[in-house]
Amino acid sequence: MPAQWSSDTNPPRPAPVLLHRGFVGASGALLMTAFGTDTCYYTTALWQWSNFSAWLITLGLIVLLLAVLLLLIDFATGRARRLNLLSFALVTAVGVLSLINAFIHSRDAWTSVVPQGIFLSAISTILLIIAGARGWSLAMSRAPTNRP
Amino acid sequence: MTRTPRSIAVLMAFAVLTGCGAQGGDPARQYGSDPFLPEPHQYLLPPMSVPESIGWHAGETPTASAGLKVEALATGLQHPRFLHTLPNGDILVVESNSPGTQAFRPKDFIAGKVKARAGAAGTGGNRITLLREAGAGQPALRTVFIDHLHSPYGVVLVGDTLYVANTDALLAFKYLPGMTQITSAGVKLTDLPAGPIDHHWTKSLAASADGSKLYVGVGSNSNITENGMAVEEGRAAIYEVDRLTGDKRIFASGTRNPTGVAFEPQTHQLFAVVNERDEIGPDLVPDYLTSIRQGGFYGWPYSYWGNHVDVRVHPQRPDLVARAIKPDYGLSSHVAPLSLLFSEGEHLSPTFANGAFISEHGSWDRSPLNGYQVIFVPFVNGQPIGRPVTVVSGFLGKDNAAVHGRPVGLALDASGAMLVADDVGNTVWRVSAAPAGS
Repeated sequence: MPAQWSSDTNPPRPAPVLLHRGFVGASGALLMTAFGTDTCYYTTALWQWSNFSAWLITLGLIVLLLAVLLLLIDFATGRARRLNLLSFALVTAVGVLSLINAFIHSRDAWTSVVPQGIFLSAISTILLIIAGARGWSLAMSRAPTNRP
Repeated sequence: MTRTPRSIAVLMAFAVLTGCGAQGGDPARQYGSDPFLPEPHQYLLPPMSVPESIGWHAGETPTASAGLKVEALATGLQHPRFLHTLPNGDILVVESNSPGTQAFRPKDFIAGKVKARAGAAGTGGNRITLLREAGAGQPALRTVFIDHLHSPYGVVLVGDTLYVANTDALLAFKYLPGMTQITSAGVKLTDLPAGPIDHHWTKSLAASADGSKLYVGVGSNSNITENGMAVEEGRAAIYEVDRLTGDKRIFASGTRNPTGVAFEPQTHQLFAVVNERDEIGPDLVPDYLTSIRQGGFYGWPYSYWGNHVDVRVHPQRPDLVARAIKPDYGLSSHVAPLSLLFSEGEHLSPTFANGAFISEHGSWDRSPLNGYQVIFVPFVNGQPIGRPVTVVSGFLGKDNAAVHGRPVGLALDASGAMLVADDVGNTVWRVSAAPAGS
């Protein structure tokens, strides 16, 4: 992707936007909300909360899958330089835990949430808060560079 | 970190999932009054195993046990479920299916697709067809008897009134002997618990010997309360309806899905076949045949087979678990008994003189498959005793990989032959004594 810069000014080339980053954040928001709805189910035993959780986790996983595809595109197009190892590990763990959690939430009634489901939601939420504080990005973008 | 550890983690997750697909044991361990009950398990991926429905080719029939023969009495029906024989020998075939359920969770979409593969999604006719035999096994007349019903199931004639249990109401129709069609709208005797959801939609129906009371089996609105407790109000119960006034009350409760109710002819005791809960193991919970005691509580949802607590229900009710009645007779797990028909003497063979025929629609969440047959449970002194005997089988194709048909409704025709409604093959089969020497 050759960028056309004015040869007069040669401004520093800005760090490119990483495509996957916002989708990791969106997935994180969905999966963390599931911990909230799990908590509501735990305290009220009202079934609709557990349905919300099941949908939030399923949608969170779908959005996370999109994020992974976009991460590959980020690397393929040279936007991303190398993996942000800690964030990648955190989000990978969340992905695996949430996949298991989706199956746990497909159980019927109380044990679709308590105890394993809400426990996995809580762990995922803690990991996601860290990943969020680190900016949601799973890779280092190419540093701003001055054109010669 | 590279992508390799992620792949391994995902593979491990799936190994955990598939490793949970336990195989069911010998169903014979769960026949009778003291069935083997393994420890309950909760799965990540509940075992689902449904053969693809392929129907019957010309000339194919189910297989009858020795001394009996099977022939098709009527084909091309619209999801035939319940059968009832009128005093003049006319046969009523209730063609029906679920009014349709909403998908609430991601799981519901998947489960719906799996069950559709097994032929459970066939469109019901919402009508009753009348068959008249010219001679034994010779259908001479076939008419639409009552049309435009709403997911009907149970039918019973008392005097000159025909009662039809729609999923949401018990209707009464004036019937005169020989009628081949009823066009008048039925009169509603009473409402029955239906929507919203209407998970177990069938309303089984029987009349007391003196005809004064009707008994209606009403299934639960979920597998195990996953649709909330509120929608279970008045469900998973057997109702007693006063035939003249329409007053109704819950006669017995805790019966998860009482799909067949009938009176034992010697003792006039009410019996039911009940479909028990799913997703805690291939050998849990045994479906059962039981006498129904007035005011009795049979466990659902809090416990099964007496006081075995189901941890999926919250809040728990130890007070109800303590008085939960153990059923009389286990039929083994996930067979899905749908009809209960007491024999009336040696019309088929001396073996089947005293006892109950039960159709087993067949499992969808158990491997290996279970059910898909019509069995006979012998009775002594009004109680089920001994081993069940297979009467009609062969509903499954080669290697159990496909299903030709699934048995539902049972009735005796005027000659004493047993009729079996098949809602995948869309056929009514007639099972009769084979001529000697054949």
